[in-house]
Amino acid sequence: MKRIVALALMTALVASALFAGGQKEDADGPVSLTYWTHEDPNRTPLEERLIREFEAANPGVTIRRVTHPSTRIAELLLTAFAANQGPNIFNTQLENSFAYVANHRVAPVNLEAVGASSLEALLGRYVEGSLDPVHIEGKLYGLPLEVLNWSIFINDRIFRDAGLDPDRDYPKTWEDMVRVSEQIVRREGNIITRRGFDFRYSDYLIALLPMVEQLGGQLVSDDGKTAIVGEEAWLEFLRFMEQWGPGGQNLGSPTYRNARSLFNHDNDDIAMTHTGMYQQARIMADNPEFYESGEWRVVPFPVFENAVNDIAACYYGQYLMVNAQATERQQYYSWKFIEFMQQHAEEYLQIGIIQPSRELMESDLYLSMPYADVFAADMERARVVYHAGNSSKLQELFKTAVESVMLGGVSPERAYATLKAQAQEVIDEG
Amino acid sequence: MNRKYPKKARTLQQSQDLWGRLFVLPAVLFFSIFNFYPILNALWTSLFNRRILSFAKPDFIGLQNYIFLLQSGSFWNSVRATLVFTAGTFLSLLALSLLVAGLLSRISRGSRFLQTAYYTPAVLSSVVAATIWLLIFDPRGIANQFINTLMNTPGVDHRWFSHPVRVQIATMVVYFWKYIGYFVIVVLAGMASIPKTIYEAATIDGANGWQQYWRITFPLLKPTVVLVSIMSMLQCLKTFSTQYLFTQSGAPLAPINVITLNIYNTGIRDHRIGRASAMSIILLIIMMVFTYIQFKTSKTDEVSY
Repeated sequence: MKRIVALALMTALVASALFAGGQKEDADGPVSLTYWTHEDPNRTPLEERLIREFEAANPGVTIRRVTHPSTRIAELLLTAFAANQGPNIFNTQLENSFAYVANHRVAPVNLEAVGASSLEALLGRYVEGSLDPVHIEGKLYGLPLEVLNWSIFINDRIFRDAGLDPDRDYPKTWEDMVRVSEQIVRREGNIITRRGFDFRYSDYLIALLPMVEQLGGQLVSDDGKTAIVGEEAWLEFLRFMEQWGPGGQNLGSPTYRNARSLFNHDNDDIAMTHTGMYQQARIMADNPEFYESGEWRVVPFPVFENAVNDIAACYYGQYLMVNAQATERQQYYSWKFIEFMQQHAEEYLQIGIIQPSRELMESDLYLSMPYADVFAADMERARVVYHAGNSSKLQELFKTAVESVMLGGVSPERAYATLKAQAQEVIDEG
Repeated sequence: MNRKYPKKARTLQQSQDLWGRLFVLPAVLFFSIFNFYPILNALWTSLFNRRILSFAKPDFIGLQNYIFLLQSGSFWNSVRATLVFTAGTFLSLLALSLLVAGLLSRISRGSRFLQTAYYTPAVLSSVVAATIWLLIFDPRGIANQFINTLMNTPGVDHRWFSHPVRVQIATMVVYFWKYIGYFVIVVLAGMASIPKTIYEAATIDGANGWQQYWRITFPLLKPTVVLVSIMSMLQCLKTFSTQYLFTQSGAPLAPINVITLNIYNTGIRDHRIGRASAMSIILLIIMMVFTYIQFKTSKTDEVSY
């Protein structure tokens, strides 16, 4: 028995010695990089080609591109980093990426690798403010895979079918949105078979918080100490959502299928959806006939009639970052590859992805993109999405409050009180 | 003066013991690495204020994570959601698996087909099962159509995802559908081990099918019933993917925020891995207590024929 135990221990020691050597790298030897990104069929052929070109231009460097579903990449990254096994290069939504910067998990941009003489010169390449979320304490921790905002897409055919003129009747205010949706909606009993518009219930901080801010409310006060500021604004917003849901005018609900994915198919089930420029490439991929028909348009994000702030949906970003635990050479080539991707911004734009460099935003290509002017105008009246260590938790509480008034029969006053108390607890806990 | 004694030969018993240990060793190693170590690690982590991404050395906070949880309304809601789900699913799984297995054992033609049909959902992943039911419970899905046809209530949305009670029932239905076939097969295997001679003797004595089921099959199935009840109860206490997918698809969190989902949200969304570990240890204790009670109340797991 002792011999068996000794044999097992020896096997374990040999195995650990074998597997422990994985990260060691020769100073001039080959460099292997792993790049994790979310699934996007439109982007895959472009990036695979860019990887081949980069590898050809940098002998000895190999890049393995790994895609994960967009719904799962955040948790996969988190668990990989928790086990100190994160990829060399990755992109993630701004709300999630903040934690990586705050916990020193990502390396600052290597200026030499990206060919910048100084940080100021690098910042100057991009539209003002677009790198603010990753520019922290004088260091830049990411470059954009995309920075985008959402406006309202309209199906003209459904508008006309409901007796509306899309040129004239498109909703400018949220009150218009209710009126127009009421005219478009079809129901069998109380089951909706055609919606006018419906919200993106998975993205409260991007799409619904600006509605509160239009009315003068805030998620967190400017000094960061008080949660859910502006009782009247919040109550008015919650009353609006209560009326939107099945217990009110029954115009939509989180339990119906995601409006954005239905829109592309032009199946007479959704007239308006809230999404970004990338949707155009997706419509083209899913339903080229609808794309070519010209029976769709993009209009600005509405405001309340009594709005005190003219605010559009928040802009947010997917930033490319580099693992701080990678070797120096891996970090260098990671940034070099990210910069290589930035140099092909026009090709990204052709699949609806905006890397907001000044050069791109002023290019004829960008200005000729359908409805680029609408997105650009909405971007000007937008602010960056709330991002902090507690943003996911606050979004969950926000979601619970809205859905409790829409679906759970909870009064807006009670939902507000609960939200205020719970959000304050999160803020106080730090 | 050294004297050499002849090596004592192994007895047959010792030799069998050695081989027995050898055969058990891989399983012990497997469980030690993948079960016991994570449990001990979670217990240790639960005593620290550890954030999942932080490089900083976490502060030792003793039982504060446990104290926080025991004072947290959200955690007690998760305990409630877990117990409601477990009671609703486990009892119906147990009762109906016994009933269906009893009926299937009496069918001579088509029994194999029915067993396969019942078992099929068990081979699907939980995610696929939940996705299928998401379509069924959609406001325009067949659940509403079926109920409305049955009750002659056209156009009524029964709000399977949004009503606080019905969303709990919906998660139970998904789980029941997925696991009933598996437990029917386990019960059928238990029934097959009962000697036929006992039924023959009962038939000669004039016992009918109903009497044979309750006087012979059911008592002799006791070990299987204990096994099925413990397995199904533990499965129910660990439920996660159905609730996760439902909440991702718009269902409200609070009614179905089972402990495992709360652990996930606390650890992965909020990055509080110390607190999530404390929750997982409490869940482990709940599972051990229920298993112990079931063993005690069933008194014996042996049956002699």
